[in-house]
Amino acid sequence: MTEVRSIEATGPDIETAIANGLAELRLPREAVAVDILDEGSRGILGIGARRARVRIVVREPDEEDEDYAEFGSPAGGAAPTAAPPKARAFEAAVEEADEDADLADEAVIATAEFGGEDDAKAGAAALEELLEKMQVRAKVHVHRAEPSNDGEATPWVLEIRGRDLGILIGRRGETLASLQYITRLIASRDLQHRVNFIVDVEGYKARRATQLRKLAVRMAEQAIRRGRTVALEPMPPYERRIIHMTLRDNDSVRTESVGEGDRRKVTIIPEKPSHDR
Amino acid sequence: MKELVEYIAKSLVDDPSQVRVNEIQGATSVILELHVAPEDMGRVIGKQGRVANAMRTLLRVIAAKQGKRVTLEIV
Repeated sequence: MTEVRSIEATGPDIETAIANGLAELRLPREAVAVDILDEGSRGILGIGARRARVRIVVREPDEEDEDYAEFGSPAGGAAPTAAPPKARAFEAAVEEADEDADLADEAVIATAEFGGEDDAKAGAAALEELLEKMQVRAKVHVHRAEPSNDGEATPWVLEIRGRDLGILIGRRGETLASLQYITRLIASRDLQHRVNFIVDVEGYKARRATQLRKLAVRMAEQAIRRGRTVALEPMPPYERRIIHMTLRDNDSVRTESVGEGDRRKVTIIPEKPSHDR
Repeated sequence: MKELVEYIAKSLVDDPSQVRVNEIQGATSVILELHVAPEDMGRVIGKQGRVANAMRTLLRVIAAKQGKRVTLEIV
């Protein structure tokens, strides 16, 4: 499969646009690269006026890609494309972040251990209980994130599936972050050791991470082209970290977070090798 | 809402027998008062109120469905 195919897809939001495109191509998410042409409105789960447009490019098997740590859809089954060894973007995406240190030192991320199946099962029990008490009808599926082939631990994912679960994601993923935090706390208490797993809703985080990595690359190109600092919109810590990690190996830009609390955002600063600033 | 707070609090404290939640229903708002043993206050509040705030966020999911505002007080 070496021909390059691409299609354009639209939807009320980027995620749906991507899903629409994938449905048309009949391909799993990890088999394609997505360019965001128009982000539409940034509403959550399709609450927004402008339609999002994306270009979906069928990926060549050996294509090098920044989405190396792809967290494939559970229905995946795609050819396990080789991932570079330093694939940490997904861990970066999900690693619990302290507000002050979204660019956590690599050591922390590299050694972030994802617990075993027992942790995930304890987490699922707690999560089911929480959902029931929140009067949300949904199921929890425990599965492993798409393994990377470098022998690194892949996280267990407690994926909440059901209808109309946008309410569990919340503005900028805030509700989902709280749900994961409380679930981990309870499971850690039950098992008397620190657990680490991902709580996701219908693959939201995985899609969001992919989208953010694309955004990072695009905005870095823009910063270089214009020779000016580009500021992204405010994001929660783990999302900012995805941006930092994506651009970590890009020598022509550096990234910095500015602002406080809810307003904290990543700026992408072009490096100027030849002339003075 | 009371059940949610009770479940979370009891799961996190050292002394679950001391967990009590009062739910005060108003026309457009709900106030929840969470009582725990003094030694357990830190567990339900968390660093910089992180646990308490996470509970508030989850409570808003239920409150939103009922069209109400919810307040969680740890007393």
